[in-house]
Amino acid sequence: MGIQPTELTTSDVHQGDDLPVKEDVAGKSPTQIAVARLKADKIAVVCLIVVVLFVVIAALAPVLIKVFGVELHAGDPIKDLDQFNFPAFGPPDHGFTWKAPLGIAPNTGDDLLAEWLYGARTSLFVATVSTMVATLIGVVIGLMAGFSRGWADRVINFVIDVFLSLPFILVALAVAPILVGRFGQQPGRLVFWQFFSLLVVLSLFGWMTLARLVRGEVLSLREREFVQAARVIGVPTRRILFKELLPNLIAPIIVSISLGLPAFVTAEAGLAYLGIGVTGYPSWGQTINKAVNFFNTYPLYLYAPVLGILLLVMALNLLGDAVRDAFDPKTRR
Amino acid sequence: MRMKKPAVVLATAALMTLAACGGGSKGGNDSTGNSNDNSKSGAAGSFKNPDAKAPLEVPSDAAQGGTFTVLTNQVPATLDPTQSYYVDSTAILSDLVLRSLTQYAYDADTNDMQLIPDMATDLGKPSEDNKEWTFTLRDGLKYEDGTPVKAEDVAYAVKRSFAIAELPDGPTYQTTFFLDGDKYKGPFKDKSEYKGVVVNGNDITIKMRRPFTDMDYYASFPAFTAIPEAKDNPETYGKKPLATGPYKFADYKPGSELKLVKNDQWDAKSDPGRIQAVDGWDFKFGQDTAKLENVIINDNGSAQTTLTYDNVSASSYRQISQDKKRLVTGTSPCTFMWFIDMSKVKEKEVRQAIGYAYPYEAAWKAAGEIEGVTRVPGTSILPPGTAGRKEYDVLGNKGKNTDPAKAKELLQKAGYKPGEYEIKFLFSTDDDQAVAAKNEIVKGLEAGGFKATPIASTLETIRTDRTDPKSPINVRSSGWCSDWPTGGSWFPAQWAGSLVGVEGMPNPSNFKEADMDAQQDKILDTMTPEQAAPAWGDFDKKMEEDYYPAVNIGYGGVAMIHGSKVGGMENDNVRGMPTFARMYITK
Repeated sequence: MGIQPTELTTSDVHQGDDLPVKEDVAGKSPTQIAVARLKADKIAVVCLIVVVLFVVIAALAPVLIKVFGVELHAGDPIKDLDQFNFPAFGPPDHGFTWKAPLGIAPNTGDDLLAEWLYGARTSLFVATVSTMVATLIGVVIGLMAGFSRGWADRVINFVIDVFLSLPFILVALAVAPILVGRFGQQPGRLVFWQFFSLLVVLSLFGWMTLARLVRGEVLSLREREFVQAARVIGVPTRRILFKELLPNLIAPIIVSISLGLPAFVTAEAGLAYLGIGVTGYPSWGQTINKAVNFFNTYPLYLYAPVLGILLLVMALNLLGDAVRDAFDPKTRR
Repeated sequence: MRMKKPAVVLATAALMTLAACGGGSKGGNDSTGNSNDNSKSGAAGSFKNPDAKAPLEVPSDAAQGGTFTVLTNQVPATLDPTQSYYVDSTAILSDLVLRSLTQYAYDADTNDMQLIPDMATDLGKPSEDNKEWTFTLRDGLKYEDGTPVKAEDVAYAVKRSFAIAELPDGPTYQTTFFLDGDKYKGPFKDKSEYKGVVVNGNDITIKMRRPFTDMDYYASFPAFTAIPEAKDNPETYGKKPLATGPYKFADYKPGSELKLVKNDQWDAKSDPGRIQAVDGWDFKFGQDTAKLENVIINDNGSAQTTLTYDNVSASSYRQISQDKKRLVTGTSPCTFMWFIDMSKVKEKEVRQAIGYAYPYEAAWKAAGEIEGVTRVPGTSILPPGTAGRKEYDVLGNKGKNTDPAKAKELLQKAGYKPGEYEIKFLFSTDDDQAVAAKNEIVKGLEAGGFKATPIASTLETIRTDRTDPKSPINVRSSGWCSDWPTGGSWFPAQWAGSLVGVEGMPNPSNFKEADMDAQQDKILDTMTPEQAAPAWGDFDKKMEEDYYPAVNIGYGGVAMIHGSKVGGMENDNVRGMPTFARMYITK
């Protein structure tokens, strides 16, 4: 005969006192994971600080020039230069002076610290706006291309190929004299239009890579079950694009932004060096263009903007790399 | 002559002005110690020597052989002899490749250029009334291919100079002075006989329709070389003109390079102005200024036989100014001016106010010019040393002092409130020195009570914009260089009332005053050369005193650098170019 449950000794029945308590395990989104990893990466933190510093400098340029007591484009060639058109005070011949911490330019006597601060402003502004616009265009077109099928996809692919094959520098070079011809007689508007056309040219040549990237991601994502499920239950395409697909594309988009920024800073400087681009606003590229002739007689003139570009671009690139690593699930331990 | 670039925006890479005759050094700015040691810059070439003897002696320190490399930022537009007017092309052609009836040669004793015979036996024989000039060609001259040079070839070149439609941009004095100059259109269009040039054996007689006292100077232009009619094709002759000088074209890539090699058919005993010491010349055009200056200053290896004819830029001038042996300074007979459009700026007070308000020194420095070296302040339109020139100072500003208070006062007298009168001028946006100069000019004009509106253009288009009659500008920045050292090559070419409204705007001020035109006609048609020279000086003074149509923004100066083994390089102050004809490599 079996043992009756009532005859079991109580010591055979365990109580649940020392069972482990279930913890609240919350799910982390990919973005949150990436951010956490970024915070742990020391290089990324340093680069972020540098970039934020540049942004602050750029934003506060007018305040900073008052703090240092310098003025933009206020050089007096007669008083500030000697008979060789070199600075009569400050580097390179006379020692450091607070009157012009980075020296003054030969030939014009303009203060170089003010040029540097405003140049930072121009570079960051141009880079940021161009990146934003290029990203916007790239994402929208990439989404459309990836999600549509048939002829729409083919047309958009063709457009991307056309833009990829356009020679960027030649177009920039071609635009400059057209603007001068059209707006030459209204100097204020000319400067505005030159600036605007620089932004347009940079944006128009920056969106294609992201578009292709996004298109590729969308192509692979649209066959996934959650997308197919959404389509079956009749979710409108726009909602699928923006609510289902886009969040999965944050990673490549952020990486593209962080790599695009330094590329645009360099492109703007390069164009200014070639003589295209903004002529009315100070920019590092323009300063470098003028300073190249003085590289051995007045090195500080050249090295200040070069160092500025170097630091900014390096910080942005390293940050971009770190961001890419942080978002990549394959590099997770 | 026309400047190559607008005056203010001239980059330190020299003013490549049209072949200017005359010019001389000019007493520079002594206080800065930068001055060119010029005491008489306009007299260049005014000394004539019809008895110069050939051959020219080769200096004892010359090594035979070697090749000169000439680096320059400039690019000559053409090397066709009939079209050459800019000083770079005329210097290269006249000194090295193409002989003309007369030539200029450097005279070490006077540090000046002399007019001496070239292919002609003397400096030409004028008739009593200067309406007929006869040149006798030397015997035994040959082209590079061994064929003989005939007087008919020179006559053909004269006829070719009238073909302005096919071969534009050359000098145009022949249309004003030579017989039928206004009717004959050149041998390509007009198959009729041109009566203005007659050949008789070795004698070439040129007939004028009005007295032309300066034909001997004019005959030094490359347009008066010998061109065989059978071998001429106007579209291609400029790529390889037949050489009569010590060197011939070996390879010419327009826009980038010109290689010259020895011409064995050139006979030193027939040429009193040139030597043939080096084996060849290698001209490289369109080079980067900073790069070429560094190469020459560092003087390593082949840089020792390298030179440039660009003006040294301010950044390098300081480095090289101590090494006097490798820096050639001097004057070029050019005056840069702000031509005030008289059809738009009608009040004399306003024009004078511009002269008081213009920021001379600030604009020069911002444009990278070195005061006293590459740009010399001045007040007379004729550059110093021009025969008969008068020194005067209409505004009392010594050509460089800015007086904004006086400008404001004059504007007020003319009835304008401060900031009301608008001055519109051109500048090139793609040239930073031009932009910097423009900024200084705006500051200066506004301080003087004007409203300054700079109008943007580009280096490519600024020349056309400047001469566009529909352009809204009311001042034009340009200049002129003497074609020969008398006022006769200045005022009839730019200040004659008959030139107003002509294509290409040869009269940039649109200056048309009946009394001044009458004075010009009187000088040209009735005076002898000795009377005419000082009469032009008086014309210059009267024009500026009575009308003030132009602001003198400086005379041109020359500062060229070369390697340590370059010998015989002096300033040809007729053109502001090196004296290629007498250069050699030192031992």
